[in-house]
Amino acid sequence: MKQGYTQVKRMTPAMRIIHWVNAICMIGAVVTGLYIGHPYYQTFMADGAVDKYVMAWNRYGHFIIAIIFDVTSVIIAYLYFFSRFEKPYKKLVPNTQNITEFKAVLVNLLTLNRKKEFDSSHADSFNTVYFTVFHLLLIWMLLTGLQMYVHGLGSGLSSIGAWWPWMLHLTTDWTIWICGGTLMDVRISHHFTMWLILCWVVFHIYYQVWRTIFWKEADIAIVIGGSKFVKDDSLKSE
Amino acid sequence: MSDKVEAVKKLFTSQSSRVETNKGDTYYQELFDKCEARLNEMRSHQPANKLDFTDLLEDNGIDRREFMKWASATTAMLMLPPMFTPLVADAAVLMNRAPVIWLELQDCAGNSEALLRADGPKIDEIVLDIISLEFHETLQAASGHQAEKQLEEAMEHFKGKYLLFVEGAIPMAMDGQYGTIGAKGETFHDHLVRCAENAAAVVAVGSCATFGGIPAAAPNPTGAVGVMDVVKNKPLINIPACPANPANMVGVILHYVLTGQVPELDSLLRPKFAFGYRIHDNCERRAHFDAGEYVEEWGDVGAQNNFCLYKMGCKGPMTFNNCSIVRYNEGVNWPIGVGRGCIGCSEPDFWDKYAYERPMADAKIKAPTGGVEKTVDEFGLGMLTAAGIGIAIHAAASTVAGKRENSGESHE
Ligand code: HEM
Ligand code: SF4
Ligand code: SF4
Repeated sequence: MKQGYTQVKRMTPAMRIIHWVNAICMIGAVVTGLYIGHPYYQTFMADGAVDKYVMAWNRYGHFIIAIIFDVTSVIIAYLYFFSRFEKPYKKLVPNTQNITEFKAVLVNLLTLNRKKEFDSSHADSFNTVYFTVFHLLLIWMLLTGLQMYVHGLGSGLSSIGAWWPWMLHLTTDWTIWICGGTLMDVRISHHFTMWLILCWVVFHIYYQVWRTIFWKEADIAIVIGGSKFVKDDSLKSE
Repeated sequence: MSDKVEAVKKLFTSQSSRVETNKGDTYYQELFDKCEARLNEMRSHQPANKLDFTDLLEDNGIDRREFMKWASATTAMLMLPPMFTPLVADAAVLMNRAPVIWLELQDCAGNSEALLRADGPKIDEIVLDIISLEFHETLQAASGHQAEKQLEEAMEHFKGKYLLFVEGAIPMAMDGQYGTIGAKGETFHDHLVRCAENAAAVVAVGSCATFGGIPAAAPNPTGAVGVMDVVKNKPLINIPACPANPANMVGVILHYVLTGQVPELDSLLRPKFAFGYRIHDNCERRAHFDAGEYVEEWGDVGAQNNFCLYKMGCKGPMTFNNCSIVRYNEGVNWPIGVGRGCIGCSEPDFWDKYAYERPMADAKIKAPTGGVEKTVDEFGLGMLTAAGIGIAIHAAASTVAGKRENSGESHE
């Protein structure tokens, strides 16, 4: 370990696994989702019939990813409140401490790291808010996606029972109304939210790299090894 | 405890959009008796017109066997078990006892056209011929004050008994002055409200009457709306599509004659027997969709091989209607069958949101604020570019600031 630095643990193995599962799934969801929206490559006419389920495989992949997102979202929602490591919801409560910290981190970003008046050894409320935005966008994708999915279960039956479409209608029909009243509006919103997520991802990656370079605390290592390094004196001076 | 288990079981087995195709023997026996009694009662009524259904069938060269085939197909469409076939046949014969008043508002008369289907009428259309059309602005001979008098009389005579069919949207802008009718210049809105007051039920036919349709398409200069936005507190049935399928109009009237009730409706007030199915799930081209085989251009090899029309803008995946099952013109063909995509004509706002003849992902969509028309991807890429530029500026500035810091110009 570098002299004068202390290693601080920031992400548990479970959190890191979820992070990378989400990242890989997101790439998969964008690739298959764009194909579903506008099939951008063609089936080979000469292929045998058995190989030909190109759209079906893309939709299959998209939905499997959706199921994985379902599961990780539930776990993350649970960890927000009950994690034994750090409970992110504590950083979301709009109390004076969090608001001050949020502002300080934002000022740090805007002043190009000339002002840094907060403790960067633990999770800060700016990043926590930013991550929460992601989870909300993802939940919106889940709700609009499941609404589109249930259109295919018009019979009210499914291979796993009638409760499934029933539940999907109960939990997602309101998205039609929110989006503007038609099934197509839900689809537009689903596609559009993909772009919001992509914008989110671009800034997220940039910001973590930026922190790594300018804070010189190896922030990028958090998501790989689980910890970062903080200068000893900076810890004391807080 | 056990009733709790029952409650949970019920919760997880209840059906929302499910089209119930089997409600159990007791239910159907009861319904059968009820329908039979109702038909017997109707038989005792004076027919409202002199047309005789059996004669009409004969005139059009349709024999009994063909008629019974139609009756059993219609019974199936209405989701009744085969034992109802004779009742459906009887009901068709008794259709001339069902008084109908037909209003035409802001529309193209396409549904009337579908109702008449002048060339070589098939059984559905013949059934519609003999319904007792007490009043139909476009078809009747009377006009002006005479027509108005006829309407008054029909409404008085069949008070609380007639079915009010409405075709066309209702213009609401400028106090409804965009559409007036009759010698008194009554607005469509007032006309509709007045006629609906004493109707047994109101049936909105076609996309304009149900959801505003084409008159309500952006920018909707006349402020057109559908019947359900105007008529409240009345049993209302929506039969959208452009035009509404005569089979579904017959279905609704038959159901009414037979049971005296409105058929089971979905959340948009469309009868489930007709709108409980998604086009895409009963489409003969579906295998090509799953295989990724699409028509790329009109008339290409894919088109010659009946490939899926998704990339030509087919909206079957978002459209609920039964034309992929019952088709049009007595099952002769339907839009996708002839090689063009579905434009979602039975869904709300179909003209703006479905009918652009390309996949949604490629369509120019109006921003909610109006004005800008971009595809979702153009808009999204624009956002992403803006984000990229912002990041680039921040990165460049950070680098410059960082260099200065290193050379000790600022800080401390
Ligand atoms: C979170 C990342 C996701 C992304 C980036 C994404 C992206 C997309 C895109 C671009 C489309 C095409 C829309 C169009 O233009 O027609 C699409 C379609 C669809 N997505 Fe997603 N999606 C995501 C998650 C989900 C989830 C969680 C579900 C849940 C089941 C879902 C279900 C669907 C469905 C049902 C369709 C329509 C498929 C069809 O009609 O065959 N998506 N998605
Ligand atoms: S033609 Fe339309 S309805 Fe038929 S499979 Fe293709 S997308 Fe679906
Ligand atoms: S295929 Fe689609 S657009 Fe054509 S009539 Fe049927 S529902 Fe309407």
